[in-house]
Amino acid sequence: MSLSVLIWLPAAIAVVVALLPVRLVRPVAALGSLAPLGVAIYFMVRFDSGQSGLQFVTDKVWIGALGIHYKLGINGLNVTLILLTAVLFSVSLFWSAGQLLERPRLYYFWFGLAESAVLGAFCAQDLMLFVAFFDLMLIPFYFLAGQWGGPDRVRATIKLVIYTMVGSFLMLAAAIATGVIGTGPHLNFTFTALSHIHLSHSSQDWLFLCFAAAFLVKMPLVPFHGWLRDAYKAMPIPVVAVFSGILSKVAAYGFLRIVLPLFPYASRHYQLAMLLIALVSIIWATSLAFTVRDARLVVAYSSVAQLAFITLGIFSLRPDGAQGALLQMVNHGLVTAGAFFLVAAVAARCGGSENLDDMGGMAFRAPVLASLFLIIALATLAMPGSSNFIGEFMILLGVFQTKMAIAIIAFLGVVGASFYGLRLFIRAMHNRPGPRVASREIVGTESIAVIPLVLVILALAFFPQFGLHRSQQSVKATIAAVRSSGSGAGQAAAVGSTKAVAVAALTPRGGNP
Amino acid sequence: MTTTTWGWLVLLFPLIGSAVISLGFRFWGRTAGWIGTLAIALSFACAVAMLISLQSHGATHRELTSSLWNYDVSTGVDAHMAILVDPISVFMALVVSGVSTLIHLYSISYMKSDRGFARYFAYLNYFVLSMLILVLGGNFVMLIIGWAFVGAASYLLISFWYRRTTATGAGLKAFVINVVGDVGLVLGTFFLFRHTGTVGFLSNFNAIHHVFHTDSTDLVVACLLFLVGAFAKSAQVPLHTWLPDAMEGPTPVSSLIHAATMVTAGVYLIVRLHPLFEMAPTAADVGACIGCATLLIAGSIGVVVTDIKRVIAYSTMSQIGYMIMGASAGAYSAALFHLMTHAFFKALLFMAAGSIIGAMAGNQSLDRMGGFRKALPFTFICFMVGGLALSGIPPFSGWLSKDDIIGYMYHRGGGFFVLGILGEVGAFITGLYTFRMIFRAFWGEPSPEASELEHGHLAHAEVPTNPMTGEEEDTDIGFPGPEHVIAEREWPMRIAMSLLALLAVVGGLIEIPGVDSGITNFLAPAFPHSRLFAQEPSTGSAWVGLIVTPIIGLIGIAIVYRLYVARRGTSARLAERFAPLHNFLVNKWYFDELIDYAVVRPALLIGRVADSVLERIVISGGVTGGVTGVVRAGSATVRRAQTGFLRYYAAAIVLGLSALSLYFLISST
Amino acid sequence: MTIGWYLAVSAIIFSVGAGGVLTRRNPLVVLLCLELMLNAANLALVAFARMWGNEAGQIFALIIMVIAACEVTVGLGLIVAIYRRNLPIDVDELHELHG
Repeated sequence: MSLSVLIWLPAAIAVVVALLPVRLVRPVAALGSLAPLGVAIYFMVRFDSGQSGLQFVTDKVWIGALGIHYKLGINGLNVTLILLTAVLFSVSLFWSAGQLLERPRLYYFWFGLAESAVLGAFCAQDLMLFVAFFDLMLIPFYFLAGQWGGPDRVRATIKLVIYTMVGSFLMLAAAIATGVIGTGPHLNFTFTALSHIHLSHSSQDWLFLCFAAAFLVKMPLVPFHGWLRDAYKAMPIPVVAVFSGILSKVAAYGFLRIVLPLFPYASRHYQLAMLLIALVSIIWATSLAFTVRDARLVVAYSSVAQLAFITLGIFSLRPDGAQGALLQMVNHGLVTAGAFFLVAAVAARCGGSENLDDMGGMAFRAPVLASLFLIIALATLAMPGSSNFIGEFMILLGVFQTKMAIAIIAFLGVVGASFYGLRLFIRAMHNRPGPRVASREIVGTESIAVIPLVLVILALAFFPQFGLHRSQQSVKATIAAVRSSGSGAGQAAAVGSTKAVAVAALTPRGGNP
Repeated sequence: MTTTTWGWLVLLFPLIGSAVISLGFRFWGRTAGWIGTLAIALSFACAVAMLISLQSHGATHRELTSSLWNYDVSTGVDAHMAILVDPISVFMALVVSGVSTLIHLYSISYMKSDRGFARYFAYLNYFVLSMLILVLGGNFVMLIIGWAFVGAASYLLISFWYRRTTATGAGLKAFVINVVGDVGLVLGTFFLFRHTGTVGFLSNFNAIHHVFHTDSTDLVVACLLFLVGAFAKSAQVPLHTWLPDAMEGPTPVSSLIHAATMVTAGVYLIVRLHPLFEMAPTAADVGACIGCATLLIAGSIGVVVTDIKRVIAYSTMSQIGYMIMGASAGAYSAALFHLMTHAFFKALLFMAAGSIIGAMAGNQSLDRMGGFRKALPFTFICFMVGGLALSGIPPFSGWLSKDDIIGYMYHRGGGFFVLGILGEVGAFITGLYTFRMIFRAFWGEPSPEASELEHGHLAHAEVPTNPMTGEEEDTDIGFPGPEHVIAEREWPMRIAMSLLALLAVVGGLIEIPGVDSGITNFLAPAFPHSRLFAQEPSTGSAWVGLIVTPIIGLIGIAIVYRLYVARRGTSARLAERFAPLHNFLVNKWYFDELIDYAVVRPALLIGRVADSVLERIVISGGVTGGVTGVVRAGSATVRRAQTGFLRYYAAAIVLGLSALSLYFLISST
Repeated sequence: MTIGWYLAVSAIIFSVGAGGVLTRRNPLVVLLCLELMLNAANLALVAFARMWGNEAGQIFALIIMVIAACEVTVGLGLIVAIYRRNLPIDVDELHELHG
């Protein structure tokens, strides 16, 4: 099976759905989303985690004169993210199927197109193809937010589009420049070709900044997050779940897949700056999540803090940090989507208000809902025992070994998360019932989206190795490429690892090797 | 079956119990309690089997590891889903599962009228699972997982009556402070991993000799961070403020989690990591000093507090102070010995207090209690046994175990000698607060509830209120229960308390200086290279201590007898005369206020500033607003060209085309 | 005959058409003038094709005729639509695009 099937299947299903009679649209769209999920699982099963190279490659010349290839492939970096995408889109469609929407055919069409665009961005192995898919992602979300959003949707959507477009154009320019400067007269934009080029330090610097701008806006991190508050408030819940769960990960993935291998010098040069941006974002978002009274914004800001942790892991420029970042991308996608769904479920029980002051005391009549909420809340705050903890553990371990002080300060974010995560849970579920609270147990249309997510979160809690195992080889290769291009840091890492090997050889240890 | 298989079974039963109860919560009804008790009893049985199986190994082969699957194994981290079975973990598993079984049994009666019955037992089984993961985990990651799980279980049970805002607040406080402890553990692990490249316990213990020398900076820092974890979990100064508030939970929870098991995890941690602490004596000294400080500070607060559960809570902190002090100084077997006996008598005290609270219809204030001696004879006996054991009076178990620690301190000499003397002061304070509580609750004029009970009527509150705030209870979800239960009338409570009372009396007999040393001999294989474990005070000096310490305790008891029984009212006069001191103690040394002003308020302030100033003004106003302003001004200029008249556009096209043609015409010629 | 004359006629017709588009206010007349301009272009194309002996220009002319037909259809349709909605038949009044 070709990867093209995977990435275009959602769009094809979306077209079919758009042509169906209205009463069939919701079930067909929801059940149809299982097909890409099945295909993603197929690739996951057949994936050989022992290799670091690309697998299932599709490589066709797309625009020959410009050296642009239609090249798709899977390696350890994107394999779990592809599965995450399929899972999140599927549960979001199941959630949507439980809601009554205007113009459902158009809604499901945009949703399917969005899934294709995201999968395309993850699979793309050509820089221009990636840019194309990256920008294609925005179009469906523009319509989804602009048409089905909340009261302030138009302003919020325009803000979102302008922010992301600025980043996208910078990235487009930088992408063209990378190809032109790097591959000269024989233009070639595939990652494989670009990874062999040698860019001068000064051009790496500005290209890095352009890409970073695009990705930092998309994530978003402070101070590029101006669009976040309004946009997250305006989007419908399934859309915001997917946006926060997946689209932000495309940006983080972009750092790992594109920026680090292509601009190794600049990545090292701006390492400290990126770490500081991430650190400021952690503190900033955490302190906001402390005080905002809107449940959805608590989740939104916690999501910013988590993405800052992911960035921290990537720019630790160490394999353990990057491994943690990748694992955390998956964990955070699952958890944040679940959290948004539950906020919506809770809001539906207190007269539609998402204000924490209107909530409270729901656990009594909704024990199952409360339990699900508790699991999600504890996973959000990365309680040890959840897979999120292993993600943060690896991230902070990586940063700790690079810049100790930053790791130690970042732990403030961990403590803060425990406060706002539990505060959200307590204010929604415990204490005295709010004035308009009419609590009732979780219903089928809600649980069909939330329970699968919670089951996946629980399964990952028992076995976080699921993600780590598959990405290990690719991550090592990526990080080795960044470090090997002549620097003292690489040597330090080599010394550290030989010491670890020596110690491991000295020590008898029970259990599996 | 192998020893480690028994170890996994010890973990499996509480997991099954918790899952079964929670998945079938609508179905079980009152059966849930029995399922939970059975699960923990089976776990205890497996722990006993594990003990027997371990003893069949040779003394040098009693550190067994076993791993099920790779948990976090990549890029150098080697965290397996692994357990370590050695005498320390077996000892802890036995204490935890044994005491838990009895407290489950007690809870079946105590919670029988509560609407959250199934939820309660699901949480309680989950707690036991967590605690067993904590003590059996074979590497730092497993330890941290257990560490955080017990924190979560503790949070859930503190906030069990979740419509009380005091309960949810206390739960949040406990959880956040415990996360501070978790962070300490994680950071400590990082400092170790940086040098040893492994997270396994045994591999670390083997590696530290190659990569550290005595008092290496990073090792000391790592140990101090581990101590932060231990202090947060074991409620040591200054991370202790959550424990008194944690008394919001149901009384059996206070008994199990906040007295017998979870709060002693810090002691376990220090003993477990003894090879590290012996190589970092500076950190160990800090631990000993903090333990000693806590035992005095907590004891002094316990003397003035009037809530019966909080008195016991402060006493718990104080006793754990002994253990932390002992474990840090190297008295490992004495610390674990005191941990065990403390689990028995403190669990017993809480259970007895629960019975009194039941008789008082939920009221916990010592000011309202009095004269329960006749009304609650069984409870009175249990309370006396617990109190005497706590005060270290012969022949009760606390007598032997507490003095074991103090004796070791004298033996090590130097600064530790001073700590030992302060420990004697602590023993005096222990006598004060324990018997102040007993004299006020059981002696004196019978309170209305007590005299009513003597006639066979159990008191009921007209309107149930929260004892902390006076707020009316939300009876929807339950509160301590409309039908109060007292040990006198419920056989499961009586059995649990009788067994614990028995253990509190005879539990000390397995380690008597000069007669037998069961615990030391049992634990010895876990300390193969320990310098400090091998040291022991001579039998003679140990017996001198065993005679002196109880005398000091008895002096304390005599003083409170004079204050509260012989000459009632003296205490009030004393409180007036030393009002500043009294206020200082009643306000718990102002630790809560200190943390509030130093940490909580600044954090919230930063959050508010970030929300109102930074986010609204800088980001929305400055960054976004500035950009939109420029765009808007630019577009306004360009917009003027758009007149809307068709002819203008057409003219523009014509002119533009003409200009282009002209340009090409000129340039081509 | 040289090509100059054809081009001159074409240019004159084109100018007449362009002048009409720019000055007249009735959309019907504007449309007529547009046709004039298109046909002027056709004339030039056919002339050039003849001059070079290349039929490509004639094919262009044919395509332009088809497009002109479509354009007239759409344009007339719009005019009818405007008329039906009782809007003024005056291009200056229809300045919805005003910024």
